[in-house]
Amino acid sequence: MDRRAFLQGAVALGLLGPAGARAGRSRGSGPGGLSVEALPELAGDLTVYLGRGEGGLYQDVMEAIRKRSPKLDLQVRRGPSTSLANTIVAEARAGVRRADLFWSIDSSSIGLVAERGLTRAMPAGISSQLKSEFRYQDWAPISGRVRTVAYNPERVREGELPDDIMAFADSDFAIGWAPAYGAFQSFVTAMRLLEGKQRTRDWLRGVKARATSYAGELGVVMAAARGEVDLGFANHYYTLRLKQGMPDASVAIAFTSNDAGSLVNASGAALLSPGETPADFVRYLLSREVQGYLAREAFEIPLVPGVAMPEGLPPLDEIDPPDLDLTRLAEIRPTLELMRDTGVL
Amino acid sequence: MRRWPVSYLLGGLVAAAALVPVGVLAYLGLGAELELGGRTGEILLNTVLLTVLTVVASVLLGVPLAFATAYSEIPFRRFWVAALSAPLAIPSYIGAFAFFAAFGRGGELQGLTGIPTPSVHGLAGATLVMTLYTFPFVLLTTRASLRSLDAHVVEAARTLGLSLHAALLRVVLPRARNGIAAGALLVALYTLSDFGTPAIMRLDTFTRIIYVEYNAFGLDRAALLSLELLVLVGVVLFLESRVGAERERPGRHLWLTLGRGQKAAFLAVALAILTAAILLPIGIFTLWLVREGAAGFDPVYVLNSAYPSLLAAAGAVLCALPVAYAATTGRLGRILERATYVGFGIPGIVLGTALVYVGLQLQFLYQTLALLVLAYVLRFLPLAVGSVRSTIERMEGHMAGAARSLGASPFEAFWRVTLPLSLPGIVAGAALVFLEAMRELPATLLLRPTGFETLATYLWRVYEAGYFGRGAAPGLLLVLVSGVAVVVMLAGEDRRSGGPPT
Repeated sequence: MDRRAFLQGAVALGLLGPAGARAGRSRGSGPGGLSVEALPELAGDLTVYLGRGEGGLYQDVMEAIRKRSPKLDLQVRRGPSTSLANTIVAEARAGVRRADLFWSIDSSSIGLVAERGLTRAMPAGISSQLKSEFRYQDWAPISGRVRTVAYNPERVREGELPDDIMAFADSDFAIGWAPAYGAFQSFVTAMRLLEGKQRTRDWLRGVKARATSYAGELGVVMAAARGEVDLGFANHYYTLRLKQGMPDASVAIAFTSNDAGSLVNASGAALLSPGETPADFVRYLLSREVQGYLAREAFEIPLVPGVAMPEGLPPLDEIDPPDLDLTRLAEIRPTLELMRDTGVL
Repeated sequence: MRRWPVSYLLGGLVAAAALVPVGVLAYLGLGAELELGGRTGEILLNTVLLTVLTVVASVLLGVPLAFATAYSEIPFRRFWVAALSAPLAIPSYIGAFAFFAAFGRGGELQGLTGIPTPSVHGLAGATLVMTLYTFPFVLLTTRASLRSLDAHVVEAARTLGLSLHAALLRVVLPRARNGIAAGALLVALYTLSDFGTPAIMRLDTFTRIIYVEYNAFGLDRAALLSLELLVLVGVVLFLESRVGAERERPGRHLWLTLGRGQKAAFLAVALAILTAAILLPIGIFTLWLVREGAAGFDPVYVLNSAYPSLLAAAGAVLCALPVAYAATTGRLGRILERATYVGFGIPGIVLGTALVYVGLQLQFLYQTLALLVLAYVLRFLPLAVGSVRSTIERMEGHMAGAARSLGASPFEAFWRVTLPLSLPGIVAGAALVFLEAMRELPATLLLRPTGFETLATYLWRVYEAGYFGRGAAPGLLLVLVSGVAVVVMLAGEDRRSGGPPT
């Protein structure tokens, strides 16, 4: 085990323990969110469907919660968000409910489950802990990710990059993108909602002329770092995670201003069964300790006011994301039609 | 009235069970509307080209290697069979991503050596990667076929004046064509249904449309498209069924001695495959592992991968026996056998979801290990059926008939004559199912008991999040466990048919 892994393990064990709580400055709801010390003890059975891959950090959070809550029997099932959403729907059709909580990588999978009336209202006391633009009735955003332009500083200077996402269609950059990737499709959905169909169609056509497609956004970021393309469109954390492993990698991130190019999307949790435990579990995820840990170690954007941003990202108020109801990103079908029309998909 | 043979009844049951997930897809896809863009023709062409090229390349690679490992004394022969089968245990998307990361401008190989390498992508790249991770299908089925041939026929051909090469080419090869076709069929179905490799190699194939629909919450459309993909599957199944072979008596095992040059050629090819298919991805993982560090890997995942896969291998072979047997006794049996192949041509994520619906009808089994094993058996049954059938097929009915006339009951004739003679096929089939179950992902993610983590699910978890380096340990262990299991299975095979003459 290398040193970093050891430290990470140690951090995890102390994450919610007395030491972790001491690190928090105040009890209660001061800046930086609630401390776990102020939260009720978790008890009973709880099954979480966790719709995302991860490098062990969520495992650390789960272990820390288990360790802190001896009366809790916590079961976690991992899988792609869409598959788990389909599973929850299939279970409901058969009159079965196995999951108490659905923690999804994106809001649109939650949208599918909510549409079938399978979610329960999020208690107001939970939503009010979140930054005001992230309060929803059916679900609670847990952590954010921002759309970025991942560029190769050896090929492009930051000053040359437009701060308007629409301008990339008329540029002569070599661009990487991942049209089959869910996060990219959400971004195009946001563009369609903000700019309208026609402008989005033109943008897709314009970029397509100079774009290389990759399977996923990690691939896009790697291609930018290798200089296969000048820049690519990707969620922020792929760049930060790549740089964590290879600090010398030739890739940096830039933001556009107040358009789909700087959309802040969120992972989120929805309650599927009644009772206090699932809701309390969400409170733990929004605690100062967990939010801080996810920001530090997984480079996720904390959504509770006062928790520091991950290293390598400017504060959220310096990023200028568009104002958009995230649940509308579930309207993906017209987006796919646009992408097919233009030959992008 | 004619009595139905027992194999028809059992085979019919198994085939019906194998078709259940397809029925679920029909139910899910019913009434879905499809709007496909104008690129359907191009995508269809890509799909067909990739499948044809991969099949051809797999046969060119798999058949000579099968000859060498079946008939000649190569140093560490068993190791080589295991090593050459091990690519079947590596999920092909992992291999594809390793190639993507290693080659091309600024790739890891250039970083290490300073020498620029061409990037691996498109149709050529996808064919290369797909071949590396599927040719063992051909290797194992062909090898099983070759091992159950009678050496006397070759000797007869030699006596009549054919050179050894000509005898192998004109006498042995045609008699192994069932095994070759069985392997080629599996390669074709795997290629048709795989999503990851063409996606990473930036080749648009039919599975990508399915995947996009699935992720856009169009389960109904994804199901319908998967059923349409079955048209291609049907064509492949039909083509393979045109390949026939004569039945013949089993007999003495053939042994050949390779010349120095031939041995060297074998070792060179085998080493090249090992390097490209296994060492390259593991090497790339390890590089990233050193850079990033590992955390959260639990050795129990090895066990969690191995024993459901072993159970599935045993289960699939048991279910395959009546189906394969029925396939050799008549037309209806052939149809039953074909039916079991259908599920293998459906993209895993769609089939996994269909199996959730099946599992929910058996609620006492839902999210238990038993259901996971059952799903593996249903999904990988054709791997076992193909291998078993191609060895039974060339076995003459007279052997069992002789046993019967000597007073054996049908069961005894099967147990003491047919079964031992088809053992090479059974072992090869079990090995295929085991390897494939080890790397299976979508159904495992959806059907495993909650909290049950295997090597493949752990690989998915870290890969999906971009923590590529953490795939090194599980990737290496997948190869190791698979290799050991194949060696053990081959040991059983050798005991039965005798080693090389001493």
